[in-house]
Amino acid sequence: MSRVFDIFRFRQKKTPLHSLDPRAKFAILLALSAASLAFSDPFSLSLLLLVEVILLKIAKSLSELISSLRGLTSIMILIFILNYLTLPSGRLYTSIAMSLRFLSLATAFSVFFLTTTPDELSTALEVSGVPREYTMMFTMSLRFVPSLARDLQTVSDALRARGLELERGGLRERLRNYTYLLVPLLVYELRRSLMVAEALEARGFGAVRKVEPFYELRFRAKDYLTLALSCCALLIIALLHLTKVYSVFTSELARIIP
Amino acid sequence: MLKEEAIIVKDVYFSYNGFEVLKGVSLTVRTGEVLALMGENGAGKTTLIKHFNGLLKPQKGRVLVFGKDTREASVAQLARRVGLVFQNPDHQLFAESVEEEILFTLRNMGYPESRVKERCEYVLRLFDLDKYRQRSPYTLSIGERKRLAIAAVVSHDPDVLVLDEPTAGQDYFNKSKLARIINAMKMKGKGIVIVTHDVEFAVQIADRVALMANGRVIKVGSARDVLTDEKGLRAARLLPPQIAWTASLLIQKGFTMSRIPMLPGELYFELARMLDSRGEGGNL
Repeated sequence: MSRVFDIFRFRQKKTPLHSLDPRAKFAILLALSAASLAFSDPFSLSLLLLVEVILLKIAKSLSELISSLRGLTSIMILIFILNYLTLPSGRLYTSIAMSLRFLSLATAFSVFFLTTTPDELSTALEVSGVPREYTMMFTMSLRFVPSLARDLQTVSDALRARGLELERGGLRERLRNYTYLLVPLLVYELRRSLMVAEALEARGFGAVRKVEPFYELRFRAKDYLTLALSCCALLIIALLHLTKVYSVFTSELARIIP
Repeated sequence: MLKEEAIIVKDVYFSYNGFEVLKGVSLTVRTGEVLALMGENGAGKTTLIKHFNGLLKPQKGRVLVFGKDTREASVAQLARRVGLVFQNPDHQLFAESVEEEILFTLRNMGYPESRVKERCEYVLRLFDLDKYRQRSPYTLSIGERKRLAIAAVVSHDPDVLVLDEPTAGQDYFNKSKLARIINAMKMKGKGIVIVTHDVEFAVQIADRVALMANGRVIKVGSARDVLTDEKGLRAARLLPPQIAWTASLLIQKGFTMSRIPMLPGELYFELARMLDSRGEGGNL
């Protein structure tokens, strides 16, 4: 499961996408996720996915997507089954579309998070006027995701060393076993968050209201270009919906495919 | 006492995400003795001990626990014979009371209800925790939580006890208490492995010491041989015990000693003998 998070963790690389301004990359994220939500047929979503794969290729990060694919596929299958079992009609078609939508949303976010350092992100947020307490909270929560995964592993190792068999028994017993995991994890993380808070204060966090950002963000020509392209994409998506072109297209598709 | 080969590690390799952590480790853990596993951070000590109860399986080589290959046994099966206690007690405690914490392990290990009470009582006393039995583990002090984490594993009477950094963050009083418990368990014929940086603690309780560096065991031998070998210690980024260090400084100054002392009493004995032979030992 921890592999799934790999696609959201920043890797240092030298690519055109990595060197973009975080705000420009945010515009890409906005356009891609809007598109994922706006389209609901397998064809448009596949096309969108292709665009995202090309972006990841530019960011030299396709291998991260591939290594996370196993975890992602299991969630996609779950989405597929849930939709298939609950939908009244057009089941196959919509279920496939919904799994693809999940994948394209996840990939959209991975394009952003794989190429943007938490520091850049918080600077971008601060420059946009978000108070420092909140940007700090955001970057810290990102920073602690891998530690959380590691702690979960340690807790489960420790309990297994005391004879707990996590995978044994029926659903109820398994759920109860997982609560054994949850208690130490929760207590440990709470204790740690208090410690981190104290450490932050000890290092003077909050002493000054307005802090000069450590990195200076500069919007260059390529950032403006990215922003413009993303806005165009958003506009086109909106137009397709407003002019009902897209709904005609999907109803035509629905007639051809069951 | 008959010493039995409890865990045999044969040329084990292990890597995390392509990073080689163990590079051909071989080691034997015997019952009835204390083995200290020492070495710098990142030498692979914790990775190695996770092989002892099957939490990790060797990617190359073999680990035999009482003759059984760990790749063919579940963690729950191996945990019956090898108890592993992790470094941070907060990762391991979850029950509502100290007593419940002990009972959890005993029930997992399939102890009959008739014996559970008696076992629980015994361990709580052994670890000096019986006065806290109804308290929540999270309200105990760090030293007590550490003892409870060890007690929870000792409760089901494993043949080998593996402790990861048992002395980290413990005061002197707790350390000596821990040393007494470890000794008592050794006397009962248990095999004990401690992972530690604490050279002085190792001097006190270890029979054998294995030094690890860079994913390999670079030296194994009796505590005296290993802990007085300055070259080996340096390779594992450890300092010699203070008494041995003092003695080697004295030897450099031309003093002669029958063997390098490691404990205060031994140094006293050597000094007294030396001064005696010079006719100056009258007051010592």
